[in-house]
Amino acid sequence: MFERLKVSSFLAYKSIVQGNKSTILLTVLIISLAFVNMVFTSSLFGGLTETSNNQVIDTVCGDIVIVPREDEKWIEGVSNIQKKIDAIPGVVGSSARYRCGVTISYEDESGGWEIYSIDPIREMLVTNIHEKVVEGEYLTRSDKDEIVIGKEISGTHGAVFEQESLKGVKVGEKVSVVFPNGVKKEYRVKGIFDSTFITADRRAFITQKEMESVLGIDDRASDIIVRIDEVDKGEEEKYITQFKELGIGEEIRSWKSYTGIIESMVKSFDIINKMVGGIGLLVAAITIFIVIYVNVINKRKQMGILRAVGIKEDVIIGSLVMQAIFFAICGSIIGLVFFFLAVAPYFVAHPLHFPMGDVTLLISYHAIIINLASLITASLIAGFIPSWMSVRENILDAIWVR
Amino acid sequence: MNEYIVEAEDLVKIYRMGKVEVRALNGVSIKVKKGEFISVMGPSGSGKSTLLHQLGLLDTPTSGQIVIDGINVSRLSERKKGEFRLKELGYVFQEYAILPELTAMENVYLPLMMLGVGRDKCRRKALGILEQVGIGELADHLPRELSGGEQQRVAIARALVNNPKILFADEPTANLDSVTSKRIIDLFKALNQELGQTIVMVTHEQELGRMADRIVHLRDGEVV
Repeated sequence: MFERLKVSSFLAYKSIVQGNKSTILLTVLIISLAFVNMVFTSSLFGGLTETSNNQVIDTVCGDIVIVPREDEKWIEGVSNIQKKIDAIPGVVGSSARYRCGVTISYEDESGGWEIYSIDPIREMLVTNIHEKVVEGEYLTRSDKDEIVIGKEISGTHGAVFEQESLKGVKVGEKVSVVFPNGVKKEYRVKGIFDSTFITADRRAFITQKEMESVLGIDDRASDIIVRIDEVDKGEEEKYITQFKELGIGEEIRSWKSYTGIIESMVKSFDIINKMVGGIGLLVAAITIFIVIYVNVINKRKQMGILRAVGIKEDVIIGSLVMQAIFFAICGSIIGLVFFFLAVAPYFVAHPLHFPMGDVTLLISYHAIIINLASLITASLIAGFIPSWMSVRENILDAIWVR
Repeated sequence: MNEYIVEAEDLVKIYRMGKVEVRALNGVSIKVKKGEFISVMGPSGSGKSTLLHQLGLLDTPTSGQIVIDGINVSRLSERKKGEFRLKELGYVFQEYAILPELTAMENVYLPLMMLGVGRDKCRRKALGILEQVGIGELADHLPRELSGGEQQRVAIARALVNNPKILFADEPTANLDSVTSKRIIDLFKALNQELGQTIVMVTHEQELGRMADRIVHLRDGEVV
């Protein structure tokens, strides 16, 4: 066994060292590009998925969302529920919001958006909108007659839907808000935020007390969003069970099931990622197959001679498979160097702008190892098939090339 | 003790090309003594190369029996035949058939590596044989740096490196000029006379064939 491996590696080494340098270089280059493509695609979709998930959690709904029962419009007795939730170890904070559709007007412009009432201190524990204020300030508990709006409402700071916005309202200016109960009130724009997530940037916020005074409601919310400790990410269901055990009868969901669109988008990303990665892998495998096949065709006679003088078939197959694996490893190494020195730094410096936020590459070492293993396995198969075909041929047919 | 190293009896080889049957060997019986140098001659299509392939275990006869050094090799599996070729037989083909990526020395010691011989011993033995065939100074040259005659000498050295019981040569001078051809046959003659190497050579050149101890003439797949 050892002798055979030794002869295989000797033949493979000689074939590479003495082989056509341009062919070897081109093969390695193609494989390296195919590998970069595989790693880039998985990193890009990884980045897209992570950005989408983080944006949903950080700007829209926290880790866990409590919504009214199916037959109810609101959650009643909010403060009592929040007390129970906040007492659970691992809960960072909870924020109860009352949501309603309003019409906001500024000069000749107006439009319909959703306005949220919040307790700013509690909201800060769950979302990061307060960190995204690009002009003016965030709300404080005592604020009255003041509103914070997203850039898609103000129409400033590079709003995507500028045409559907208030087209240029600035901090300090007044906007008029018409509530569902018919109350019309003027608010001073206290701050404008840009979370880079369109869904969040189409929202407006006023304080809880302000909403209660306008609508005449008390201790009522449309939803309660909850933030859990970073270390417990992915264990939302454990908390949901605890909430239920405390007698919270409202509907409780994790951010994943609450944001169905994001979830289906992530699933689609995953499918595209697998397809693009699979095609990249196939390209690399076919390249290796062609290189080894051409090698085998060119050396048909020599391989017949080798077999005639008693060199065993598995030694010949081994030598060709080793060459294929060598191409794959070299291609992967060059691809990795190029990826880490050029591609990744470029995308960190120049993130891609997507509706769900600025996306950079999420480099997963697990994905890199899987891609590497896939490429080496594919090259092993691509090297094996033509060499196996060649040693099945009759020795005399190979020697006489007939 | 049996004086014959090869005893082939009633060898028949039929090739089927569609519905047509071609009888390449038609009951050939041949015996080769140890240390004998035999030329197999005959016109094109007489079956001389086919006979060499059967005797050299590169092909399997349709019927008949081959015994080499007391072993009935006709009954060996393909795997065992491969091992037998590696350990007991040597081959020289018409077109030098050496690997272009390996130096002369590496081409020669490849069969030894396959037998598990250590690198130093491989190199020593290969160099010794290359010197024996007259190209020791070219040991580190690649085939593309060698002439046709020199490449054929490398092939002969490779065939001899495992001390084969029989050296089979299939038209070894077909691609060489007359002077180089003569030198190659002289080399065979010297190997035969000085080392007692048994050689079975196929050739269609009368002058070279006559240099062997004995000539076996074939015509239409039969010994004549």
